[in-house]
Amino acid sequence: MATPSTQQLLQTMQGASEHLSTNDRRDFLRRGVSYVAGAAAVGGATLASATGLTSNLPPNEPQWGRQLGTGVVENPYGLPSRHESQVVRRTVPWLTAESISSISMSPLQDLKGIITPNGLVFERYHAGVPDINPDEHRLMIHGLVDNPLIFTMEDLMRFPSVSEIKFIECPANGGMEWRGPQMEALQFTHGMLSCCEWTGVPLKVLLDAAGVQTAGKWILAEGADGAHMSRSIPMEKILDDTLVVYAQNGEMLRPEQGYPLRLLNPGWEGNTSIKWLRRIEVGDQPWHHREETSKYTDLMADGRARRFTFVQECNSVITSPCPENPIVRKGFLEVEGLAWTGRGTIKGVDISFDGGVSWRPAQLKGLVLDKALTRFSLSTQWQGEPWLIQSRAYDDTGYVQPTLAQLREQRGVNSIYHKNSIHTWQVAPTGEVKNVQIT
Amino acid sequence: MFRLPKSALALALFACAAVGASNSQDYQIGTAATAVEIAGWDIDIRADGKGLPVGSGNAINGEESYEIFCASCHGVFGEGEGRWPVLAGGEGTLADDRPVKTVGSYWPYASTLFDYIRRAMPFTAPMSLDDQQVYDITAYVLYLNDLIGEDFELSQDNLAQIKMPNQDGFFVDNRPDVSNPRCMADCADPASLMIQSSLSGITPIGHFVEGADAPASSHSGQHDLEASKEAERKAAITGEQLVSSVAQKNAVMSAEAIAGEATYKVACGVCHDSGLAGAPKLADTDAWLTRLQQGKEILTIHALEGYAGAKGYMPAKGGRADLSDEAVTNAVLFMVESQQ
Ligand code: HEC
Ligand code: HEC
Repeated sequence: MATPSTQQLLQTMQGASEHLSTNDRRDFLRRGVSYVAGAAAVGGATLASATGLTSNLPPNEPQWGRQLGTGVVENPYGLPSRHESQVVRRTVPWLTAESISSISMSPLQDLKGIITPNGLVFERYHAGVPDINPDEHRLMIHGLVDNPLIFTMEDLMRFPSVSEIKFIECPANGGMEWRGPQMEALQFTHGMLSCCEWTGVPLKVLLDAAGVQTAGKWILAEGADGAHMSRSIPMEKILDDTLVVYAQNGEMLRPEQGYPLRLLNPGWEGNTSIKWLRRIEVGDQPWHHREETSKYTDLMADGRARRFTFVQECNSVITSPCPENPIVRKGFLEVEGLAWTGRGTIKGVDISFDGGVSWRPAQLKGLVLDKALTRFSLSTQWQGEPWLIQSRAYDDTGYVQPTLAQLREQRGVNSIYHKNSIHTWQVAPTGEVKNVQIT
Repeated sequence: MFRLPKSALALALFACAAVGASNSQDYQIGTAATAVEIAGWDIDIRADGKGLPVGSGNAINGEESYEIFCASCHGVFGEGEGRWPVLAGGEGTLADDRPVKTVGSYWPYASTLFDYIRRAMPFTAPMSLDDQQVYDITAYVLYLNDLIGEDFELSQDNLAQIKMPNQDGFFVDNRPDVSNPRCMADCADPASLMIQSSLSGITPIGHFVEGADAPASSHSGQHDLEASKEAERKAAITGEQLVSSVAQKNAVMSAEAIAGEATYKVACGVCHDSGLAGAPKLADTDAWLTRLQQGKEILTIHALEGYAGAKGYMPAKGGRADLSDEAVTNAVLFMVESQQ
């Protein structure tokens, strides 16, 4: 059979996609284009016409230029364009018995910059999202303090506020892949990760108001939801940077993120940033509750387990290309990704195209902040060569992101949490991207 | 230009500084928490037993409560139903290829069990048990793990003394535990690289891979998928016609039933959508056949007052005492009419 011309292929694809919804069509074309890119060398001009109806393209006046759109407050709380409806959180249903105590992941493959929009911040609940009336919400501080206190939300918002951009990551991010690659999508390999600007009060200010006694070395933070999630946090962290926050990205917290109040332990495992925060007790030792014994402890190969593994160590991943973002055209390509470290600031990121044999420094772009997502980029050319593409971040403590082999050698494969190893995407000559591991 | 005598400026600055200094300690925000308020919320128990309420209980008394409140998810012997957590067994498996982490095999302190059951269990009705029940059930779970005898009287004085098998199995975080030098060239032998690919068919990737035979993307979707596969399997055996779900959804409902759907979603779906705790699934018409024969009135009474049947325990109003009788009655009608 003769190979069809690019033009013929595109026409067939467009015809075949007519019955699909807009988003399906977009994805279908995107996949199709990657096929074409692999099958034949194509010019950019022809491809442009594949992504829409020609009647809306030059020299024609597009349809939206010949009519009026909707007016103000059509959506009093604005929504993304309907053409972006595939940008959503997703879950892996077989991971948990039901959705009340479960997890969903952020679509990292579709995000730009370093801020996660509020509706896309990953979710993790242990008893579902409570519906809390802020007027009836209280924060109690007691234990080894001189003046036990109760704060209303109004009280808390009277304190001088601070706003800081910090990531939150679930320590189980990537935890499905200790034994081997499992997830065929970036959203599922790394999506238990988000970054927002958080606004609230440093916890030490509130503790000062209550007057911590000298014996007070730990706190217990507890949620108001049905799980009454509880974690012990050492006082050093609180004196360093723990916040009690009520807002994210400029608006009050989303219910999923702890409305009206949550703890934020920057750079530490997400579970310690107790949501729906209602109580803080000061004590002289940790409590050893379920979430710091049965869970969130890291089982080693010898059967012993690490506890209080608070820090999220330096990590990174390439977000483009990735399985959801295959390479659709030969020629210029900006490789992009995200890096983060719970110990401080990202110093740099290196990229390998050959599975870790050789490395080239990438550029950090935009804001490079303490314990925040940091975007990196490397401009290159792709001519259809197969790649094993990896990123390797290092932080201002000198720590370099390790290989999976190194982690496995130290920890075995049963620790579930804190898998921050170098990640590999395999790019095929068609531009398709697969999740693989190199051993 | 605005001018201020120097002395006035100095005075103003001094005043600011003074206000600033006292400010930082003196917000005077918040009200004193009373002993009664604290007592109501101070539910935590520490590894050394601090916080345990006065009281005691034993496994003999705990058995019945456990079977009513816990066994539907965690299994009669703590073995765990379906994907629900396993509570007993697994001793000596922590260094195995597939370790089984349970209260007996993994948990370092018995106090954690009392604390966790009281704050979070039973899953669908947290904080609903009284301290007596929690002591009894805690004793029973310890007994299931062979950690105490069935007549051992567990109390605020001896609970923290129970030595858990894995108490010494933990050590404090000693990371960074690996060091990866930042090598830039010739870092590995290209010939030695082995590539391991992802398993296919277990990632929900329907959103970007055209025609992917992938699992559903939501829990309810996954339940529907599993339910429809089950229906197909049954139909293939019995030769019965499959009832399409669309036809079911289009069935005409009474106004009460339609009103009841909202209540169902917030208060009943948590168990009845998925079969949680042994609840008959809304979509499982077979499971409702014999129940419907009791008549709507009995079903409504069971929903309002609670009901312990062969499958599990249905809490009064689904555990939502705040719902009106009418709302629950309508929810029952919604469930009943969904079967027609
Ligand atoms: C409807 C199902 C259900 C019922 C009924 C239930 N549980 Fe649970 N249980 C769960 C779920 C789900 C979790 C995990 C919660 C999480 O981590 O978010 C859990 C966790 C636990 C754990 C911690 C397990 C571990 O390894 O960390 C214990 C202990 C426990 N339950 C005891 C009980 C007891 C005792 C009862 C009865 C009073 C009970 N549960 C009733 C669903 C249930
Ligand atoms: C905690 C889980 C749970 C919740 C929440 C729940 N149910 Fe149930 N329900 C059950 C279980 C378990 C059964 C089956 C008991 C048996 O037959 O063993 C059941 C059975 C029933 C039955 C059949 C009773 C019979 O006599 O066969 C009705 C009707 C019912 N539920 C209505 C409701 C309504 C209405 C709600 C919401 C207001 C609700 N349920 C919420 C667990 C639940």
